[in-house]
Amino acid sequence: MTNEHYKQIKLLCYVHWIVSQKFNSEAGVRDIITLKEVVSMPGGGSLTCFTGDKLSNRKDLFTQLGWFVYYMIEGEPFNSRNKTLTSLMIIWVLNHYNLKYDTQNLMKFLENIDTMKTGNSDISSWFANNCQ
Amino acid sequence: MKRKIIRVGSSRGILLPREVTKAMGWEFGSQTELTVDEKIKEVTLRTIKIDIPEEYNAEHLKEIEGTLEKFQEILGGIDD
Repeated sequence: MTNEHYKQIKLLCYVHWIVSQKFNSEAGVRDIITLKEVVSMPGGGSLTCFTGDKLSNRKDLFTQLGWFVYYMIEGEPFNSRNKTLTSLMIIWVLNHYNLKYDTQNLMKFLENIDTMKTGNSDISSWFANNCQ
Repeated sequence: MKRKIIRVGSSRGILLPREVTKAMGWEFGSQTELTVDEKIKEVTLRTIKIDIPEEYNAEHLKEIEGTLEKFQEILGGIDD
């Protein structure tokens, strides 16, 4: 784990805290190992799109988002509102990158992901096909 | 504005008017910081501010908070 990984974990913990305050849900990390997996991409990579990197390559961005969504939903690292946090971060990043997408379509997709049938690369492909 | 010192048990206290607590966003249990300058006989009461570490982009955090506000209805309806 690098400083960048820890920075991303702290960011997600902060955002989860504001989500739990907003919706009166249980704050806190359920499983720190799972949370480490969320930010730890293969080859020492991480979710740099959350911490200021303006990725010029859309493929890299969608790869990071696919990884994030898959491991957040599959691992549920927080005590509550994992899908809410996931959706919030995705909406923020897509808006931050000025990408066009259909909010209802995105929410429907995120809510219905079955991690037994959908892998992180499938999720990346969905972003590539539906966000421009 | 002028306020009188009142007795609160064995201590001395000042009641904060509603417009002050509303303007400051203070609720019961809100954390405040009291500082005293004996030289000029002045007391200051302020909200405790959380300093965001330099490594974080404060603009990004504000954007995320703004996104939560803007999409709260949709996000609140997610079946988690």
